[in-house]
Amino acid sequence: MKKEKRRIYEGMYIVSTTLSDDARKKALDKILAGITDKGGEIRKVHEWGRRKLAYSINKKREGYYYIIYFDLASSQIVSLWHEYHLHEDLLRFMTLQVESVQEKLEFKPIKVEKERV
Amino acid sequence: MTSKEEEFNEPIIRRRRIAIPDIDHVDYKDVDLLKNFITERGKILPRRITGISCSYQSKIKKAIKRARYMALLPFVTEE
Repeated sequence: MKKEKRRIYEGMYIVSTTLSDDARKKALDKILAGITDKGGEIRKVHEWGRRKLAYSINKKREGYYYIIYFDLASSQIVSLWHEYHLHEDLLRFMTLQVESVQEKLEFKPIKVEKERV
Repeated sequence: MTSKEEEFNEPIIRRRRIAIPDIDHVDYKDVDLLKNFITERGKILPRRITGISCSYQSKIKKAIKRARYMALLPFVTEE
């Protein structure tokens, strides 16, 4: 049998802020367990913290952001999504294929000059 | 041509020159960068106004749409 190709993925998750700290940790553990159960490996977990949402999702104005890097066989990703749709505390999620794991969540500052032409 | 006509023909486009760091990958998590490419109401600015290259604009466009889905940027801002 041909060996399945594993790819690195970046997942961003918005967890509800109405949960207590313990409940939120449980929700995160559920997400992490879902990945490892499918034969994935967690590379890095970033906690982006509480942020105001640009628009309300499920009548909630704030969300708790997590960014998780993991590698997984590409055929497993769809079943992962099905699982997330059943997750009640998860407001939004997005998984993207990436080239490498981002160790720090830092971005270069940019200069903006406005001019009239 | 009269002076009034000249005034009328003057372009009113405000071009933004945005000095972009030398990167080949635009991250959708970089909200501060992306905020320069949208209007106050949340619309994506056209390349005519941003004045950046075609390939960079398409990367910015993609990143903005991802950021909108994750509620980092608004679809529409209402007063």
